[in-house]
Amino acid sequence: MPHNQISALATAKWTFSTRRVDRSHIAGMDTDFAAARAGDLILAQVESIGQHNRVQLVSGRPSNIFPGDIIVLACGARYAPDQFEGWAEIDPSGCDLLAGGGCMGRMVSRNERIKPATRLLPMGRLLDGAGRPMNLDSYTLPPTMRGGEIPVIFVLGTAMNSGKTTATAQLALGLRRAGYNVAALKGTGTGAFGDYNEYSDTGAHWVADFTDAGMVTTYREPMDRVKSGLELLLGHAEEQGCQIVVMEIADGLFQRETGALVADPWLRGRMSGMVFACGDAVAAAGGVAELARHGIRPDALTGILSCSPMAAAEAVAATGVPVLRKNDLADPAEANAFALRAFSNARAAA
Amino acid sequence: MPRRFFSKFVTDHRVASVSGTLCAKVIRPSVVSHLPALMVLHGISRNADELVELFEPEAERSGRRIVVPDFCASSWTHFQRPSRSARPDQALLALLSYLAILDPVFAGPVDLFGHSGGAQLAHRFAMLYPNKVGRLNLAAAGWYCLPDTSMAYPYGLGTDDSAEAELWARRHDLALPIYLGLAVRVFVGTGDTDRDASLRQTPDLDRLQGPNRIARAETYVERFRAAALRHGIQPDITLTPLPGVTHDVAHAIAHADLARLVTKSEPELALLATAC
Repeated sequence: MPHNQISALATAKWTFSTRRVDRSHIAGMDTDFAAARAGDLILAQVESIGQHNRVQLVSGRPSNIFPGDIIVLACGARYAPDQFEGWAEIDPSGCDLLAGGGCMGRMVSRNERIKPATRLLPMGRLLDGAGRPMNLDSYTLPPTMRGGEIPVIFVLGTAMNSGKTTATAQLALGLRRAGYNVAALKGTGTGAFGDYNEYSDTGAHWVADFTDAGMVTTYREPMDRVKSGLELLLGHAEEQGCQIVVMEIADGLFQRETGALVADPWLRGRMSGMVFACGDAVAAAGGVAELARHGIRPDALTGILSCSPMAAAEAVAATGVPVLRKNDLADPAEANAFALRAFSNARAAA
Repeated sequence: MPRRFFSKFVTDHRVASVSGTLCAKVIRPSVVSHLPALMVLHGISRNADELVELFEPEAERSGRRIVVPDFCASSWTHFQRPSRSARPDQALLALLSYLAILDPVFAGPVDLFGHSGGAQLAHRFAMLYPNKVGRLNLAAAGWYCLPDTSMAYPYGLGTDDSAEAELWARRHDLALPIYLGLAVRVFVGTGDTDRDASLRQTPDLDRLQGPNRIARAETYVERFRAAALRHGIQPDITLTPLPGVTHDVAHAIAHADLARLVTKSEPELALLATAC
């Protein structure tokens, strides 16, 4: 590795998605970007500022970025209808900052209400001592045989920004207030510290996301790998002494991996409870109907919908499913009812 | 002369919760036993300090750690039941979580004892969080939340037109079978027959739960048994009359051994029953 590039690494901003990487393993770099795959660690320079003017650092704080800044990110895809769709491809002439948590690739579509992506100049792909590309999948939580027992309350929704993260955090808070050791997990999506920190702030006993299972994003990952990641997180939740898990599944029911999970018997087998977040009564009715197609009925509706008493009443009338506000989810009496139902369902499944 | 509860075995605590701040005293015996911790809930006389003194000898005898919350009037106008205006249940949960950091025995389940308004809170807490409760000891509650739908909440688990009744009934629904599986010991003085201002009186309550605390305790025990059997659960509930006792917890402890009865373990109680 040329001397100037070693110096560049020393001053680089390491993004949140790289938080598990052991930097002492870095032995060199190459520029074989055509061979890059999702999770490979890329050293890049900020070329021009677009949609993202900040990146999320490993330390858990955001950092403004400026042209010329050097950052370490992971190559990855992005699914974000409110922002970008992007693929895990590195163009040597320049690529896109797809997510501030540290995901770079090639933007293939953009929501017209947002700016073009911040542009990055790839400098090199990090290599370990054996000359192998360093990839997030080398820095996962260790394998565990556990995870089959712990009850899981899944949080799904109609789309991004429907209220899933708030629901996950508030239910975790309610369960913690009710005296449980609770794990708050993000099962799918794109690595970012916003959700992670929101979960942590509730005092959840253990917090993790798919990055801890070696993925910068679950978008376009094989379903077996996504499920293995979920199992790994559940296993560690159990090992950490958690009694119950609240797990957010990103994006909407029609998103590629979420849709596949909902249709997969694995999800029904692991589900001890479910909260569905949505924005209005029609979305609630549609979501409940779509879930019913797969034999799933949510225990509660929540999200933006719950802010409006009129919308909530319409949703209850249309679906028969109770609507809970975020304060309800954080109420230990409500959360304990969720927990008791989850334990009962988990016992029945066993 | 310093009062006994300032001795080295009684410690003061203050715990904040989303519902308000709750003070409590914890009695830690010189030799602790394996028995669950006991939470002692005062009634509307708010005599937490007196209960500390009355229970301290029993803590020492049984080896139980005993926590006595103090719902002071300035912060807790209402504390007998969770409602829109007060959430004493949240304060009790916060207290237990805090104490569990200091002593794992408070992680539960803990036994509960409540007298009068404290008995109301005790059984309502147990209905919401039966998984946190070991044995439930209720003395001289003024009225009960019956574990069936014969009356609308808060008198039972039925619903009326109110959203609050529906909300609470739903929250209780899943916990009910666990609640009905608890060991419940109900006590009431044989002289506790006054229909004074401290006894809630409505035509429906008088008709469906009885005219006084004795009748209401009998109704509760009967309804609890019936509800348990309907759920396929063998009920473990007893009603113990306290001879010559009126609506006075100090008198019940001094003359009917109430503190001893609620701190004894189940095998000790069984032996006592056999001896009688």
